[in-house]
Amino acid sequence: MKELSIVIREVGREKKDILYSILFGFLAGITAVGLFASSGYLISKAALMPPLYALTVMIALLKLFGLARAVSRYGERYFSHRATFTILSNLRVNFFERLEPLAPGIFQKYRSGDLLARIVGDVESLQNFFLRVYYPPIVLIIVFLSTIVFTSFFSIYIALVLVLGLLLTALVIPAVFAYSQRRIDHTVRERRGELSTEVTELLYGFRELKLYQRLEEKERMLISSSEDYIQEQERDGVQSMFNQSINTAASLMISWVVLALGAYLVIGGQLNGLFLAMLVMISLTVFENATPMAAFPGHLEESRRASNRLYSVVKEEPVITQEPKIDLPQTEALSVDFREAAYRFENEGRNVIDGVTLHLPAGSKTAIVGPSGSGKSTLLMLMLKVLHAKSGKVLLANHSIQNIEAEAIWQKSNVVLQENHFFYGTIRDNLEMARDGLSDEDLKSVLVKVRMSHFSLEDEVFEKGENLSGGEKQRLAIARALLKGERLWVLDEPTSSIDALTERFIYDELFKQAVDDTVILVSHRLTGLEAMDQIVVMEDGRIVENGSFNELMAKKGYFFEMKQIEKSVFG
Amino acid sequence: MNELKHIAKKYKGTKLVLIILAVLTGISIIAQAYLIVTVVDRVFLQGQSFSQIAPYLACLALALIVRAGLTYASGRAGVRMAAKVKSEFRSRLLAKFTNNPVQSSLQGQSGQKVSVMMDAVDEIDSYFSQYIPQVIQTSVVPLMIIIVAFNQHLYTGLLMMITAPFIPLFFIIIGIKTQKKSEEQMDKMAAFSGKFLDTLQGLTTLKLFGRSQKQKDSIRESSLGFREATMEVLKVAFVSSLMLEYISMLSIGLIALELGLRLVVFESVTFFTAFFLLVLAPEFYLALKELGSAFHTGRGSMGAARKIMNELEKKDHPVSWGEHELNASTPPAISLKSAGFHYNEGFELKNVTVDIKPYAKVAIVGQSGAGKSTLLNLLAGLVSPSKGQVLIEGRPLSDYRERAWYYELSYISQQPYIFSGTIEDNIVIGSSKEVSKEAIKEAAQQAGIMELIDSLDQGLDTQVGEAGRGLSGGEKQRLAIARAFLKNPSVVLFDEPTTGLDLKTEQILQASIRELSRRSTVITVAHRLHTIQHADIILFLKKGELAAKGTHAELMDSVPEYRNMVAVQQGGEAE
Repeated sequence: MKELSIVIREVGREKKDILYSILFGFLAGITAVGLFASSGYLISKAALMPPLYALTVMIALLKLFGLARAVSRYGERYFSHRATFTILSNLRVNFFERLEPLAPGIFQKYRSGDLLARIVGDVESLQNFFLRVYYPPIVLIIVFLSTIVFTSFFSIYIALVLVLGLLLTALVIPAVFAYSQRRIDHTVRERRGELSTEVTELLYGFRELKLYQRLEEKERMLISSSEDYIQEQERDGVQSMFNQSINTAASLMISWVVLALGAYLVIGGQLNGLFLAMLVMISLTVFENATPMAAFPGHLEESRRASNRLYSVVKEEPVITQEPKIDLPQTEALSVDFREAAYRFENEGRNVIDGVTLHLPAGSKTAIVGPSGSGKSTLLMLMLKVLHAKSGKVLLANHSIQNIEAEAIWQKSNVVLQENHFFYGTIRDNLEMARDGLSDEDLKSVLVKVRMSHFSLEDEVFEKGENLSGGEKQRLAIARALLKGERLWVLDEPTSSIDALTERFIYDELFKQAVDDTVILVSHRLTGLEAMDQIVVMEDGRIVENGSFNELMAKKGYFFEMKQIEKSVFG
Repeated sequence: MNELKHIAKKYKGTKLVLIILAVLTGISIIAQAYLIVTVVDRVFLQGQSFSQIAPYLACLALALIVRAGLTYASGRAGVRMAAKVKSEFRSRLLAKFTNNPVQSSLQGQSGQKVSVMMDAVDEIDSYFSQYIPQVIQTSVVPLMIIIVAFNQHLYTGLLMMITAPFIPLFFIIIGIKTQKKSEEQMDKMAAFSGKFLDTLQGLTTLKLFGRSQKQKDSIRESSLGFREATMEVLKVAFVSSLMLEYISMLSIGLIALELGLRLVVFESVTFFTAFFLLVLAPEFYLALKELGSAFHTGRGSMGAARKIMNELEKKDHPVSWGEHELNASTPPAISLKSAGFHYNEGFELKNVTVDIKPYAKVAIVGQSGAGKSTLLNLLAGLVSPSKGQVLIEGRPLSDYRERAWYYELSYISQQPYIFSGTIEDNIVIGSSKEVSKEAIKEAAQQAGIMELIDSLDQGLDTQVGEAGRGLSGGEKQRLAIARAFLKNPSVVLFDEPTTGLDLKTEQILQASIRELSRRSTVITVAHRLHTIQHADIILFLKKGELAAKGTHAELMDSVPEYRNMVAVQQGGEAE
């Protein structure tokens, strides 16, 4: 419930809109009651042959209630929806504020592609929280209380019946069903998960299933889990239909009791018969507000789950001991050291980085190579303090990075990752973020350096750079790094989608600019590494061998073998 | 919506039940009003005793309970119908997907298909569980009320009849207006709503460039922008329900006014009739208004239905099989006679003729997009030739029993699919017979993966796939090899990895293929010089055509393009 309280706090910030929603909600509810009450009274009064003016007043009142009700319903809808969207905006900002300090390490930690989509979805689903959970009960209670007070002027007994009815339909019945609903919800979700697995396996694993003649078996399993899922959904649907009907039946029966009790009181002379019709109409109308309460537990549960999931992502990390911060040298190239560094992902048995010791002198050029999954990228993440080594040490300019702010490291490095993000906007927007104070000349000349001069600075870039090819995105990312112009280069397979000729050209430009800088390059290819000071070969999180190109080739070890294989692999 | 209507037609029985339930609901609504009015009338005006009205009260209680019961029954019938429709749709989609899925999985559309199968099918639920029952209710109940109204008091009936059409009319007018408005706002809304996800996805980049702080404001800005755009659309919808509310209020008011005047001034109706009609009037308009909200729900299902129908209407080209058995103590002779593959506007493979002798080592080479994978799928019987023939032992592949052919075949793809389950399950899937633990271990040993398995706490029982331990590309390859060793097929199709794997896997792949080719025909889409040098026959594909065939030496001699390709490769330059 702690997570939900964060949401409640965010909701509470929109006081004005909340107040309006409640006010208009109340007006809409109470005018409906007034409308039907007065129509009941009107007709009874008419039966007694009153003077015509009394009737005219009543009819005018009737119209007034009618109009007021329609307008307040509009107001309620308008303000509650406005509030909902403002609250969503607040939630997004609030969540972002919590997530921002934890990024990018947190994305590495989860290693799950759909984490972000899930976050967005969970925030969206919280829109029901205000609209269906937060304010409707408040409106319901105020409408009921006012109605009950009004009724008590005519008959205290009938007022008591309404109180009981409120408790029954708004509290007892939803509470009773909340429990069973929760269990069914749980099973529905489970069945859905099972079906989703079956469908995914069948469609993605189709070829294997066909070839191994397991397709029919899998089809049968899929159909049967689809049936299970549909059956649970059906049970869920029938159950919620049942809840709703029980609640309707209860509220109708309350009106019945009002009628029976009222009739009894009229006959006993304790109630003027003139008001009987009115009281019955009141009862029938006021309980219309209570029927939606049957769905209340479902919405509450959904909001609770969404907020739990959402905020569990950004639960406070254990605070890393704060030692005096050390500033990185402003303009010098930096040396990098790993001392017995090790890292392991959550929920994984083995170390991705397993005791790596490595020295990269300031101004040196290093290539890291090795098969996929050998830990190359993770090594870069440790160095950038995106991930924190589980044991061992990482040093930058001979200072342990524990004593250096991550932001300071990022500020001092030009990073190109395997996946680089581009924002909706123009080429210019996406380049300008590299550094402040860049002139058009700077931007244009960097486009030449990465062989993208056929693009103009004003060319549009879609969300995630969807309108750019893989190679173009990589070139643009390299352009950003070139513009940033710091003295530590961290490049993770920056040219994997760029053809060899262009790659050569871009590397020439890059190394020209970085001639005195420290460069660490994770390379997917073994070509063009002759000029590197050091080549580090990794496998299974360990360094298999390292040395210059000539040393490694002469040694005829792992690198040599890999080189032979690469030579024989066709594109 | 037409597709859904069409399907709904099939559920005549349920519809009939719903109509009967609606009629009964109408009766209970009318009875409820009648009985309430009777009780009030007798107590208030006629001064009857409690025992005189008790029977009416009892009947009223019954009517109320029946009404609630009917709501339940009709909702339940809708839910049942929705369940049946969903189940039918999933079966039809499954049949469609399994009939012709290789092409689509080649086109990389599996993700989209998963979403159709899961989400789209779920989304049509509300059309059947809510929209249809509500439509039936709405067409029956107001009709019954209006008949009663005419019967009781002509003018009330007339007022209802005149005012009622305004409600659907307004719905249509406003529906069209909202549609236009929301289309106008759609782009804006999409741009705003994507911003949050875009920022989250780019957070790493933003942090590395020290630009993340400013994003808070831009998230707020775009969220509020989204709010404004959405409110524009919603306002129209809210105004529409305001208008509807007015119409029904005005109509009820008119009815009340007319009844009041008759009652007081002209004394031409009784209190009973007037009250009775006044209770019924709101029920009449309420039922009409509810149609609107149901319509809204139904519309959500339309898009989903269209998605499903698009899938179901796609043409498929199922692979046909016969009854012939294949008894191969030795690998069968395989030959292609002018075989081609071309469907729709897609890729075309033309006129491939080749004989593959038992135990041959065949390498298929060519640039990407030359048709290598299509040829492999053709040989595997995963797609059927649109021209020419694939012959096995001189007989079309389609004459054989599907099971018999696949019994003889193994296919090692570039990215073998790992099913969620244990490592053992994943190896055993290769075999069609009962296998012993020893045989599994033996196969794992041969595929060089036993060492890894032994290093795991749970050994062969370690969970892999979706929810289990992640495997590297090399480990997946070795697992696929283990499947092949366990199966011991007479034909092996192998799609060699295009990227370099770890050294160990590279060595194991070479050794394994050597071993497998001793017992079977091995056809490889080759990306390794080593493989083509050792092939008995090389099929050199170019732009969907068989440009040349022969041994490495022959092709080097006589085909300049082939020579060129190999030369580029040995020069160490990619592409």
